[in-house]
Amino acid sequence: MLGALIIVFREVIEAGLIVGIVWAVASNLAAARAWILSGAAAGLAGSALVAVFTGAIASAFDGYGQEIFNACILGTAVIMLAWHNIWMARHGRRLAMELREAGQEAVSGKRSLFALAFIVCMAVMREGSEVVLFLYGIIISNGATGASLFVGGLLGLGAGLLVSVLTFKGLLTIPMRHFFTVTNWLVTLLAAGMASQLVGYLQQAGIITVLDETVWDTSAILSESSVVGRVLHTLIGYADQPTAIQVITYVAVIAFIWSAARLLGDPTPARPSKAVLT
Amino acid sequence: MTRANTMAALAFGALILAGPASARAEEPPTFELSIKGQAFVPGEIHVTAGKPFILKLKNENDAPVELEGKELKIEKVVAGKSEIVVRVRGMKAGRYLFVDEYQEDVAKGFVIAK
Repeated sequence: MLGALIIVFREVIEAGLIVGIVWAVASNLAAARAWILSGAAAGLAGSALVAVFTGAIASAFDGYGQEIFNACILGTAVIMLAWHNIWMARHGRRLAMELREAGQEAVSGKRSLFALAFIVCMAVMREGSEVVLFLYGIIISNGATGASLFVGGLLGLGAGLLVSVLTFKGLLTIPMRHFFTVTNWLVTLLAAGMASQLVGYLQQAGIITVLDETVWDTSAILSESSVVGRVLHTLIGYADQPTAIQVITYVAVIAFIWSAARLLGDPTPARPSKAVLT
Repeated sequence: MTRANTMAALAFGALILAGPASARAEEPPTFELSIKGQAFVPGEIHVTAGKPFILKLKNENDAPVELEGKELKIEKVVAGKSEIVVRVRGMKAGRYLFVDEYQEDVAKGFVIAK
């Protein structure tokens, strides 16, 4: 049971963290919770679909359908995260605060929320489909002992949910004047980490074959498959054996989002606002 | 801003479309293996060091498996009773572990590059 719990927890921890971060980021916009929950629900439905069609997805594109599918999901998420950060820089923190205070749903705010809900949906769908397959495998191949494994799996799922809530609550304790700086950086690093994962899938599919040598190997110090490794992998894109092109992509995405937010950003500083996040 | 997004999306799309076509030009050798229960057959795959290769895994179980090799940079789900291919980059001489992540303590295999 413990084994199943750990396997599932390791799968859902990434989605859990992403949902927690995005939820906190969205909390400044009106009706955030409804959007995040819809995103998660859509992601769950999507993960069941992906699990059912695993075989069909895998055999598409000369057998590299799974990699291309994952790369597309990650690519869209990266674009959405980058877009959200640049939107925040452009329309100003002020607007986001006012939206929340007044409970208005300006079109632009809604669009950003849609992007955030979409990211939640994708994160849940990617990790969720693997959990669905794992639990399905337990049921059909383990018979009587399957029940306890299944319970372990469900507990792991619950633990993942807890990660979301803790991440969300934890981020909300950050003082208002630092909140946007912290969440902007989290979103930027999240996007960079996802982009480097995307490149990993394209390498596995043989679409990218250049710069494939491993730059460093820290798997003996901190394995990417340990719980701490997974958390850092999600939060800052930590990889224990990245290839050169993955490192380059990571740095390039951070540079792109950072400079685009500055170039297109609103130069006026945010109006100090109190008691927005209580 | 929107233009930048469009450009990024286009570049990404082009990459995906161009990829499989160029990859087909020079196919690396394929090594076949299967998994039945908890055992990979064969349990060891011998490849030439420094040369990319393709692994073809046939899952003979009803349950899905997830083929994973950290150093090999493989991570792929295989549905029950089906098969997948993965491309592996040229590896330095050595012994590299791969597992079924859903039963990683028992289902192990190695790629040996020489």
